[in-house]
Amino acid sequence: MEAFLTYRGRAALLDWSDVNTDLIIPARYLKRIERTGYGPLLFADKRYVPGGAPDPDHPESHGELASDFPLNASANQDATILIVGRNFGCGSSREHAVWAVAQAGYRAVIAPGKDDGFADIFEGNALNNGLLPIELPEADWETIATAVRTGPTEITIDLLRKRVTLHGNSDIEFAFDVPEGNRERILKGLDAIAETLLNDHAITRYEQSAPVWAGLSV
Amino acid sequence: MPSAPDTLFHKVWKRHVVTVTEDATLLYIDRHLVHEVTSPQAFEGLRLSGRKVRRPELTFATLDHNVPTENQLDIREPMSKRQVEALRTNAKEFGVTLYDMGSGRQGIVHVIGPELGLTLPGLTIVCGDSHTSTHGAFGSLAFGIGTSEVEHVLATQTLWQGKTPKALGIEVKGKLPAGLEPKDIILAVIRAIGTGGATGHVLEYYGPAISAMSMEGRMTVCNMSIEAGARAGLIAPDDTTIQYITATKRPFAPTGAALESALADWKLLQTDDPSAFDRIVTIDASSLVPQVTWGTNPAMTVDVTGRIPEPDQVPFTSREDARRSLEYMGLTPGTPISEIPIDIVFIGSCTNGRIEDLRSAAQVFRGRKVAAGVRALIVPGSEPVREQAIAEGLDRVFTEAGAEWRQAGCSMCLAMNPDKLTPGQRSASTSNRNFEGRQGPGGRTHLVSAAMAAAAAVTGKFTDVRTLLSQGV
Ligand code: SF4
Repeated sequence: MEAFLTYRGRAALLDWSDVNTDLIIPARYLKRIERTGYGPLLFADKRYVPGGAPDPDHPESHGELASDFPLNASANQDATILIVGRNFGCGSSREHAVWAVAQAGYRAVIAPGKDDGFADIFEGNALNNGLLPIELPEADWETIATAVRTGPTEITIDLLRKRVTLHGNSDIEFAFDVPEGNRERILKGLDAIAETLLNDHAITRYEQSAPVWAGLSV
Repeated sequence: MPSAPDTLFHKVWKRHVVTVTEDATLLYIDRHLVHEVTSPQAFEGLRLSGRKVRRPELTFATLDHNVPTENQLDIREPMSKRQVEALRTNAKEFGVTLYDMGSGRQGIVHVIGPELGLTLPGLTIVCGDSHTSTHGAFGSLAFGIGTSEVEHVLATQTLWQGKTPKALGIEVKGKLPAGLEPKDIILAVIRAIGTGGATGHVLEYYGPAISAMSMEGRMTVCNMSIEAGARAGLIAPDDTTIQYITATKRPFAPTGAALESALADWKLLQTDDPSAFDRIVTIDASSLVPQVTWGTNPAMTVDVTGRIPEPDQVPFTSREDARRSLEYMGLTPGTPISEIPIDIVFIGSCTNGRIEDLRSAAQVFRGRKVAAGVRALIVPGSEPVREQAIAEGLDRVFTEAGAEWRQAGCSMCLAMNPDKLTPGQRSASTSNRNFEGRQGPGGRTHLVSAAMAAAAAVTGKFTDVRTLLSQGV
């Protein structure tokens, strides 16, 4: 996982609610056994003209981009921060959805809401991959979305201070929250398993106390 | 001083706490179920870091998503084959039990867990699959995880959880009318609270309609908890639960003294008082009619007696999002549901691929024929379900009606195997997601119960199954 301290980039807006992970990456692309190569598959059924989505066997070859898909607009080509509608990432638990968003070049996703901006599993998967899922109150989100609708917009995400800055004539700052453990890990790019194994004695103690029928240890 | 009432969910959660930090809890995981799609990168991660599976005896794998259902052994798609082979290799290398095709136990991961006796009250169960919520029907805390978490559980048998979910009580009052199924209840629940209505929550279903329900039905209800955004769904164990676990021989269910101690323990697994829930939603089962989804998420649901809504009358959805749904589905507001013709019927999946679902479909198919121009696929959820259906003669009912009787797998629930809709085709499906492209790119999915799917098969459109059942044959 790449360490993340502060990051400044261009924002793109996909103003749809309830975007599910089947839409983010269709199931036929989940046959790969690698962790990489998902970038071109992001939103495959929306991003390319009908029939132009990559072949699962040859994901590198694809057809023309669909002109009506918001993220294909030329202004969005070098965007690295994705602004999305509520309940983003609902549906399937496939981490491939997060890999696709991250490997398409996005470093953070910003949704409106309070605990309901992202679906729970997507949010966890994103944190585990250093793709920052940021929830902002509806009004703050709207301020950013309006700016993006109006013209090219740059945003800075400061994970140390937990602040999003919208750059414009004058900068506007918004606070966001992220679980402390995740923040720590993302800031330092740490391996979650190695961290957990520091609790090995506690895990072993737990195992010794489990009832026989729960542990299948007979 | 009496302690404050607690919920079933919190009780199960608390017994699995290994350690806590300022804002996270490390939970112990009792059962880890694995399938071929979300595990290869996790095993690869272990390999790269030289790690082992901590508790291989608590980890169980099966093949389901890629499995062809016409002839399981004939996997023609090279990518599917590679993924299946990868799980075989990984299971062997890491010492994990794999229920392979032809083992007599293979099937959809959420169907086989309960069949094997792996799913038991009070346990924590995870799988790299969002419908792990199915197992909550036994009063276990069961939820879906991503591949990084699969690797974490393989290596440590634990999982970090951020904010403790809230408990949302779903009270289902009344008696479910004849012809209606647990699927209608859960569709009505999602319709009432929305696809994000339970985000950050664990649902607990209770009330007379739940108590009267079989384990199969309870699994259908808990299965779709995720479609309301819930982390998990649970139902407190009762005599029906114990009967399911003990009346049939299940290889991993406790017996003898272990069972005695388990039974004493399971009695404690109840919500003390509904006041312990953070919130309660009440549904009256007796007033329900069969449910049919019309749109591209499971909350876009109407009664079979209803019509396609106007885009500005869709709850939880903006006018623009509703308009895009209608356009994708090729539907016009005001059209009666009962006038929508269908092309394909899919009966199966971890939502409705169990024996009771096949029985209820057979009841409709018996003595009738699949309508001209319609294709009906019946896909049992597991090899044991298939065997049981054959023993009851249900396979003959299906084939005599002109439906296709298949082998076990996920099949047309998500179209990773050859069973897919082609663009523009419309299905009546017993699965759980009507997302765009879920059953094949451009496919249009309507979610219904098994009985309603069978009714659609024999009439070629959405038909209130109650009218067929009352006619008899
Ligand atoms: S049947 Fe469908 S929902 Fe269930 S595990 Fe298989 S693909 Fe997932």
